[in-house]
Amino acid sequence: MTKTSSETKAPSKTLFKAAPVYSSSDYIDRLVAGETLLPETPENLKEVVGVLDAYGIVLDAYSINLNYIAEHQFLKLVPIFKYFNGEITPQKILKHLWHDRINYEYAEYVMRTMMWHGGGGLETYLDSDDFWACCSPAIQAKIRLNPILRSLNATFPNFLPEQVRQLCYYSGLGQFWRVMSDAFMYLARSYNQGKIKSLAEVVALVKSELVANATQPITYSVEIGGTQYDIIPESVGLTFLPDTAVPYVETIFLRGAPFFGTVSYNAQAQQVPIDQAQFAYGALFADPLPIGGAGIPPTLLMQDMRHYVPDYLREIYQRSKRGQDDIRVQLGQSFQKSMFCVTEAAVRGMMPYAPDTEDPKEQVLNRDYLSGWMKRLSESRLDVVQIKD
Amino acid sequence: MLLSSLLLIPALGALIISLWPSQLEPRQARLGSLITLSIALTLSLYLASQFDISNPGFQFAEQINWLEPLGLTYSLAVDGIALPLVIINSLLSLVSVYISGEVKRPRLYYVMLLLISSAVSGAFLAHNLMLFFIFYELELIPLYLLIAIWGGARRGYAATKFLIYTAFSGILILGAFLGLGLLSGTGSFDYDPALAQTLTMAQQTVLMGALLVGFGIKIPLVPFHTWLPDAHVEASTPVSVLLAGVLLKLGTYGILRFCVGLFPDAWLQLSPWLAWWAVVSVLYGSLAAIAQTDMKKMVAYSSVGHMGYILLAAAAATPLSILGTEMQMVSHGLISALMFLLVGIVHKKAGTRDLTILSGLMAPERGLPFVGSVMILGAMASAGIPGMVGFISEFIVFRGSFEQYAPQTLLCMVGSGLTAVYFLLMINRVFFGRLNVSLPQLGTPVDTLISGVKWRDRLPALALVLLIFAFGLQPEWMTRWMESTTTTFVSTAQQVAVQSGEKPQMNNAL
Repeated sequence: MTKTSSETKAPSKTLFKAAPVYSSSDYIDRLVAGETLLPETPENLKEVVGVLDAYGIVLDAYSINLNYIAEHQFLKLVPIFKYFNGEITPQKILKHLWHDRINYEYAEYVMRTMMWHGGGGLETYLDSDDFWACCSPAIQAKIRLNPILRSLNATFPNFLPEQVRQLCYYSGLGQFWRVMSDAFMYLARSYNQGKIKSLAEVVALVKSELVANATQPITYSVEIGGTQYDIIPESVGLTFLPDTAVPYVETIFLRGAPFFGTVSYNAQAQQVPIDQAQFAYGALFADPLPIGGAGIPPTLLMQDMRHYVPDYLREIYQRSKRGQDDIRVQLGQSFQKSMFCVTEAAVRGMMPYAPDTEDPKEQVLNRDYLSGWMKRLSESRLDVVQIKD
Repeated sequence: MLLSSLLLIPALGALIISLWPSQLEPRQARLGSLITLSIALTLSLYLASQFDISNPGFQFAEQINWLEPLGLTYSLAVDGIALPLVIINSLLSLVSVYISGEVKRPRLYYVMLLLISSAVSGAFLAHNLMLFFIFYELELIPLYLLIAIWGGARRGYAATKFLIYTAFSGILILGAFLGLGLLSGTGSFDYDPALAQTLTMAQQTVLMGALLVGFGIKIPLVPFHTWLPDAHVEASTPVSVLLAGVLLKLGTYGILRFCVGLFPDAWLQLSPWLAWWAVVSVLYGSLAAIAQTDMKKMVAYSSVGHMGYILLAAAAATPLSILGTEMQMVSHGLISALMFLLVGIVHKKAGTRDLTILSGLMAPERGLPFVGSVMILGAMASAGIPGMVGFISEFIVFRGSFEQYAPQTLLCMVGSGLTAVYFLLMINRVFFGRLNVSLPQLGTPVDTLISGVKWRDRLPALALVLLIFAFGLQPEWMTRWMESTTTTFVSTAQQVAVQSGEKPQMNNAL
C-alpha cells in the first residue's frame, strides 16, 4: 500500500531530494486499511515508544507543576518560587540556579499558546458571565488583605480576571497532561513487558486511553483563607476530550506559534496567515533542526527528555553519525514521529464510523473526514517521517 | 649558532624522517615533525627572550665564508623586522603539521613541510643577498610538490602556474642582486644599506623595479596575483595556512628589506605610484573577493587586498608606517592562517566550499557552531574591528601613511569596509539560514549529517584567536620587538640618501 503514486506532488525542494512522497489518498488508504501513518518498522517502534517513555516522565513533572501553580500560586504578583512545587530548600534553590532542573518554562509556553489560540469549551466558558460569577469571589477574597492587589484591581479591573483565565489554562493543561503522562508511562511499561509489538498497537493504546478519559471532568478550584472557591465548577460540564485534548491538538500539533525558531516570517508580506485557524507552525510542521538553539521552546522539552531516554533508544542515537552530540535534534525527530502516532490515535478516535465499515455511505463519509485531516497535514512533515534510514 | 639552529633543526628533522630506516606510519611522521617544530618554536621564543629590543641593528650575527669568489657567505643575523616573522613561521609551520591528518606518502609530505619551514626561516635570517635568494628559491620546490601531489583536482595546473610565476619572480630577484653586486663594484653580496649608494638613479630604478616586480609576484600584487587563488584552491589546508600565513610574507619582507632598505632614493621617486598601485591591489582584491563563490578563493582574494596595505605603508615610509608594515605582516599571518584553517574544516566536514550550496552551518546541534563563531571573530579581525590585531595593524598602517599619501590611504581604507562586506556575505551564506549541506545528489536527504569537530581540531584555531585578541588588546607585546628597528630603518635609508648626494626629502614625518 505504500506505493509511490505518479500523481503525487513534487518533493519539497527544501527538505529532501527524491524523498518518497505519497498523495493524501495513499495515506487515507493506509488509515482505512488499519495501517499507521508512520511506517511500521522496528526502529520507528523503538523511537516512538522510547521517546514517549521519556515524554511521559517529563509530562508528569510538567503536570504536577502546572497544577501546583494553578492551585498554590493563585494571583501571586511575584511568584519567584513557582517552579519549586512548595519545596523551598537551599539545596533546591542552588540546583535551580545551577539549572539542574526540569524546564517548566516549556509547559508555560504551551499553556500560553493554548490560551492564545483558544478553542473548545474552555475558551467559551472563560468568556462567559458564568466565569465572572465564579472568578469574582475568589478575586475579592484574594485582594481583601492585599492592598497592592486591591489597588491594582481598582485601577485595571480586567487585569486580575485575565490572570485567572490564564490560571485556568494552567490547570486545564495540567489535568490534560496528567492523563497523557499516565497513558505514555503505561505504554512504556506495556512495551517493556513485551505487550506492544507494533506501531498499530501503540496507536490503539493511545486511542483507547483518550477514549477512556474522554468524559473525565475538567474542574479547577482554589483555597483562599480556608475557603474553597470553584473557578471551573463541575457543573460547567468541561470534559477531557473536547475541552482540553482537541484544543491542545489543534494548538500544539497543528497551529503552533510562529514567533520562535530560526525562520523569520514577514506578516506584512502575508507570510503569516491572516486567519489564525490557518496557522501551520505546530509540532507536526516544525523543522526539528533548529532544536538546540537558545530561545527555541522545543529545545527545552528535548533538553528535559534527554535525561530519561531509555537505553534502547539511546543506543539508536549513539549509532548515528554524531552519536549523542545531537541528541536533542534526534529526540525532536523521534518526538515528531510519536506525535504523528498520537495524532493518528485522535483522528481514529473521532472517526465517524469504524474504519472497516462495509457500508458504502459510511465509507464515503469516513474518507471525507480523513481527507479533511490530510488536507490539513498536506504541508506537515508527514512526508519526511516516511523516510526509512 | 642560535640562528643556524633555527634552520638546521627543521632541516635535520626532515633528514631524519626521510632517512628513517623502517616503515613510517603517518602518525609517527607527524609526531616527529611536531617535535621538531616545537623545538624550533621554543628556540625562536628563546631568541626573542634574548633579543635586545633597544638595539635597532642586526643581532646574533653568524658568518661563515662559503664561496668567497662569488661573494657568497653564510651570513645570518636578526633584527626587529625579521624576528617576528621567524616566530610566525615557526608557529604556523607547527600549526600546519598539527592540522595535517591522514596523508598519503607521509614521509615525503612532512619532509617537504619541514624543508619549507627551514628555508623560510633562512630567508628571513639571511644577511647576504645570494643566501637570501637561495633560501627564497629553496622553499619553491617543496611547495610546488605539496600542491602538485597533495592538492585538489586541478593541482597540476595550479602547481605549474605557481612554479612559473614564482620562478620568474626568482629570476628577477637574482638578476637584481647580481646587477647590484656588479654595479656596486664591491663584489660582495653581504646585506649593506650602502651597497647602492654609488649607483645612478637610473640604475637604482631599474634594479629596484626588478625586485619590485619579483617580490610583487610573491606577495602577490595585482596584476601578478592570478597564481595565488588557484594555488590556494588546489592546495590542502595546511599548505594554504603556510602559504598565506608565511610564504607571502617573503614578498613583503623582500620589499621592505631590499627595495626600501637598499634603494631608498629610487623608492622615494616611485613611491607615489607605488601607493596608487597599493590602492589598485586593495580595491581589486576586495572587489574580486566579493564576487567569489568558493570560500577559499574569497579568502585568497582577501589576502591580495590585505597585502596591498603593506605596499601602501612601505610607500609612505614613515617610521610609523614601516612599523605598520611589520604589524600587518604578523596580523595577516595570524588572521589569514585562521581563516584558511576554518575554511579547511568546513570543506572537510561539509564536503564543499561552494557558497551557493552551503547554508546554516551555525545550526547548534547538527552544524559547526564553533567553527562559525570563530570565523565570525576572524572576519571581524580581518575587517579591523577594535580589540583584535587586525584593527591595530591597519590603524597604524593608515595613520602612518595618511600624512604622506592621504588620497591613497583613504581609498585603501575603503578596502577595510569591503572586507566586512565579503566576509559578512560569506558568513551569512554559509552559517546562517537553515542547515543545508548535502551536495545535490539524488536520494540524499538535505539533512545529511555532518560529523562534529573534535576539540583536538579546534585547538589551533583557538590558539590563533587567542593571539589575535592578545595582540589586539595589548599591541605592545608585538611592537616592542619591532619598534626600534622600524624607527631607525627609515633613518638609515635617509642617511644613505644623504651620503649619496641626494636631497633627503623623504619621510617628512621623521
